Amino acid sequence: MRLKIAIALAGSCLLLASVPLWAHHAFAAEFDVAKPLKLTGTLKKWEMINPHSWFHIEVKGADGKIAQWMVEGGSPSALIREGVTKETVPIGTVLIIDAYHAKSGENKAVGRDFTLPDGKRLFLGGSAQNVAPPAN
Amino acid sequence: MSHKFPILIAGTLLTAAVVIGQQTPATRTPAAPASAGTAAKAPAAAKPWVTPRTPDGQPDLQGYWTNATYAPLERAAANANKPFFTKEEFEARVKQAAAQDEQQTTPGTTGDVHYDFTQFGLDKSQNTFAMDLRTGMITDPPDGRIPAQTAEGQKRGRERTAAYRPAGGYNAVQDIIISSRCVIYANPPGPPMLPQGYNGNYQIIQSRDSVMILFEQIGDIRIISLDNRPAPPLTVRNTMGISRGHWEGDTLVVETSNFAERPQGRNTVLAGISDNFKLIERFKRTGENAFEYEFTVSDPETFVKPWTASMPFARIKGPIFEAACHEGNYGIEDTMAGARLADRKAAEAAGKK
Repeated sequence: MRLKIAIALAGSCLLLASVPLWAHHAFAAEFDVAKPLKLTGTLKKWEMINPHSWFHIEVKGADGKIAQWMVEGGSPSALIREGVTKETVPIGTVLIIDAYHAKSGENKAVGRDFTLPDGKRLFLGGSAQNVAPPAN
Repeated sequence: MSHKFPILIAGTLLTAAVVIGQQTPATRTPAAPASAGTAAKAPAAAKPWVTPRTPDGQPDLQGYWTNATYAPLERAAANANKPFFTKEEFEARVKQAAAQDEQQTTPGTTGDVHYDFTQFGLDKSQNTFAMDLRTGMITDPPDGRIPAQTAEGQKRGRERTAAYRPAGGYNAVQDIIISSRCVIYANPPGPPMLPQGYNGNYQIIQSRDSVMILFEQIGDIRIISLDNRPAPPLTVRNTMGISRGHWEGDTLVVETSNFAERPQGRNTVLAGISDNFKLIERFKRTGENAFEYEFTVSDPETFVKPWTASMPFARIKGPIFEAACHEGNYGIEDTMAGARLADRKAAEAAGKK
């Protein structure tokens, strides 16, 4: 899920606890909706920080030159509670990232979707609809 | 029940199955409060659940908790006379909400400029959430709706909401909301402790004379004094207020006052609170894996009458990962740099005219 609920709530001043969903910072102020990118790169480092996480990747351009990119991902706290570590995604993993370019023009982006070369989405293997019945 | 999220590593053909989001919700129904949790495990021979105590003899609220829920604060108008869903209705709503969690935004729209919560295991349906059959959290007034606000309260709320994000773009770093600057999670962190969109996780630690509540987002910390010290004069103010607590039986009762003007614009009905806003919170263990949290808002200068809301907290697996908010907060630099680039382009375009 992304931010559409937050956008819907922003118009209402009375929905205090209708579970406001908003990210830690204003992504649309930082990244350009008019500049979507598809980056294919090799993971060099994952800054696994709560609430910000950044994937540092090397992207080979059409001219063969390597460029360093930083791509923002989600807060890793839920993953960490379940045992995911920096080593879970090994350095050297190839990531294909649908992203939006930073407004600053630097080699930074937000990753709207992280996939692997075989087409599988990074991390996501289950269905969020698989909700347990009340346990007690 | 749990579901598995395989971590798929390209190239290595290695799949490490990681269990994420083990859902252990605390259920509350009018007839069967949350203490049913222990009974479910040993229905025939279960001993009556007894409130656990700290070495000091106080009711033990310690541990890791979440108040994540699908229940809204206010009851929908259609449910004015229906305080609880049936179990079947509730399950259908949760299923529907979980499906919504998975929905994707449309590429090329502003809402799409974001990472996917689902991909990082952040959807509520992927984590423990407190199940609650209430149709809304507000228990008083009986219709489950927030009472009307006074004209002055509405005016304050409008003004503060407008001031929350100064108009004119990102000309100074102060134009970025304080939560993005890692000062405090202002949406709000509490009190009152209302559910968050994600990472709505808390840790409670008690001592004889105080209760500490750590909120995961930005690592906001509340200290509630239990030693009968009086609240300071209103000239001393705190963004999260100043809290004093005492025990009434097994219930921790906390009164919080001395709030600083809270920079919590957006969708908050508390934006218009006055200097005399008072909050009473009650914490009471209801089972091995749950406690009930209730709060009452009293502010006659803002609301025509007090109102009370209630929600369960469910135990979660710890620990809480440190919110190292400043680290990796490249968003501040990127936002300001993007705004300056836009300024330069605008100036260049103006110069060409």
